[in-house]
Amino acid sequence: MAAPVNIQTPSKTWELSLYELHRSPQEAIMDGTEVAVSPRSLHSELMCPICLDMLKNTMTTKECLHRFCSDCIVTALRSGNKECPTCRKKLVSRRSLRRDSNFDALISKIYPSRDEYEAHQRSVLERLNRLHNKEALSSSIEEGLRQQARYRNHRVKKPTQESDNTTFSGGEDNGDTRSHLSHDSAPSHAPNAPGLTPSEAGPSRKRPRASDDGSGPEADSGSPTPPLRRHKEGPGSEIELVFRPHPQLVHGQDYNQTRYVKTTANATVDHLSKYLALRIALEDRHTDREAEDQRKEEGGGGGGGEEGAATGGGEPGGTTGSGGEGSSLSDISEKQYTIYILTRGGQFSTLNGSLTLELVNEKYWKVRKPLELYYAPTKDPQQPPPPPQLPPPQKSPPIQREG
Amino acid sequence: MASQNLDPAASSAALKGSESNGSSARGSVSKRLQQELMTLMMSGDKGISAFPESDNLFKWIGTIDGAQGTVYEGLRYRLSLDFPAAYPYQAPRVKFVSPCFHPNVDEQGFICLDILKDKWSALYDVRSILLSIQSLLGEPNNESPLNTTAAELWSDQEAFRAHLHSTFQK
Repeated sequence: MAAPVNIQTPSKTWELSLYELHRSPQEAIMDGTEVAVSPRSLHSELMCPICLDMLKNTMTTKECLHRFCSDCIVTALRSGNKECPTCRKKLVSRRSLRRDSNFDALISKIYPSRDEYEAHQRSVLERLNRLHNKEALSSSIEEGLRQQARYRNHRVKKPTQESDNTTFSGGEDNGDTRSHLSHDSAPSHAPNAPGLTPSEAGPSRKRPRASDDGSGPEADSGSPTPPLRRHKEGPGSEIELVFRPHPQLVHGQDYNQTRYVKTTANATVDHLSKYLALRIALEDRHTDREAEDQRKEEGGGGGGGEEGAATGGGEPGGTTGSGGEGSSLSDISEKQYTIYILTRGGQFSTLNGSLTLELVNEKYWKVRKPLELYYAPTKDPQQPPPPPQLPPPQKSPPIQREG
Repeated sequence: MASQNLDPAASSAALKGSESNGSSARGSVSKRLQQELMTLMMSGDKGISAFPESDNLFKWIGTIDGAQGTVYEGLRYRLSLDFPAAYPYQAPRVKFVSPCFHPNVDEQGFICLDILKDKWSALYDVRSILLSIQSLLGEPNNESPLNTTAAELWSDQEAFRAHLHSTFQK
């Protein structure tokens, strides 16, 4: 087979692709014919391949006819090779591009409210991001807890009552339903959050685990009081616990807040019980006095001190608090409240007041989470305090925590 | 790198990306990365996957399955993708996390691939990068090897496969 003779001079040859050889001009649509285009294929036509967004101030390459946002292609040419990002055709300078205002007009015809489109797109992306990013979710929960703790710290950071040698920290602040709700909704996180600064949150989270590691093996053997690492750590070791109202013995009108307490491990059940009685008495005084204090805010140092004590609960070694201690506070006794623990059989068993919390944790709890204890007013106190000095919640129901 | 001969008005308008100054640039980069993530998840490509490592959208972990009919068939590799603030004008730093015995991959997992270096284009994305690396696995460039042992062994496909499978670790 002989090759066909080339009539044209070689320098004039047009190199046409098969597509170009066979294509025929498209008829312009002059009648009312409607052509349906899927949103997806439309989107890929109107999209800038660099930012993957809808074209903005469209620029078209003069030779290869690829479109980009003006900003995108200019940045691409400045930071990369001088070639078309789509097909690598050489783009000598910005003069290899031309503004494509027709295309911009087309886009604004199809999407007249571009801002709306962009807002919609943003919201879709955000939702997607939230749904598919568990890490982001958990970190945002953590951040929320941290902020709560900061907020709490801010409010609670006032001198407070010291009970014997044991310092209690934590609890919750008064009159803040929001933080109360958060305890209910995130009980597993909450014990770490109250009254802790973010820097404290890390190590304190590990402490109960360390103790659980020690008691873990004992859970099976049931041997009494295994030596814990904490013993060697000395008085510095701490314990975290959740302190709930006894579900059967504490009724709606009684004091029934759940408290999150962090204290030293050598504190006894009596300490805890006295702390509770003190807190309840203080909070009641606080709510009684609140209206008064608001009126005579500038009144006297004594009032301020007492209020400080009443709101307190987070900081050890308060001195102002003891100064403001009134007559009713001196009658506080650890006998007013009895502490219970839920045993494995589902029974509430009374804890002896002389037990240290560390022992309680080892003997009764043995689980890998903060100790949970229950409190209820003692039914038959050995030394009943005189009626007017009973913890006031019984006469005046707590105002903020009905639900 | 940057041309001296630019219209100053145009260059001030083109702060997107490469300058990486301010939050708006970072915002546009995360927007693009989010778009990529969405497309990647919806396209359902077989043999490649990628997802942000944590809540940081600028660090992803990708996986590549060895293509069928190559000695890498049946092996899965993990890679890390590290996006610069000038992405997509600058290529992400991509390296193998799993050890990969390959002529163009060194012991630290660095990959010798032109599109990740001088042939980068702003049009490449995570998907095209992973597909390119997947095809690089089956078609190495033995002219400029990073791992000469692998390059020499490549001619003996059976021996290469045997070595690959005996030394493979996730």
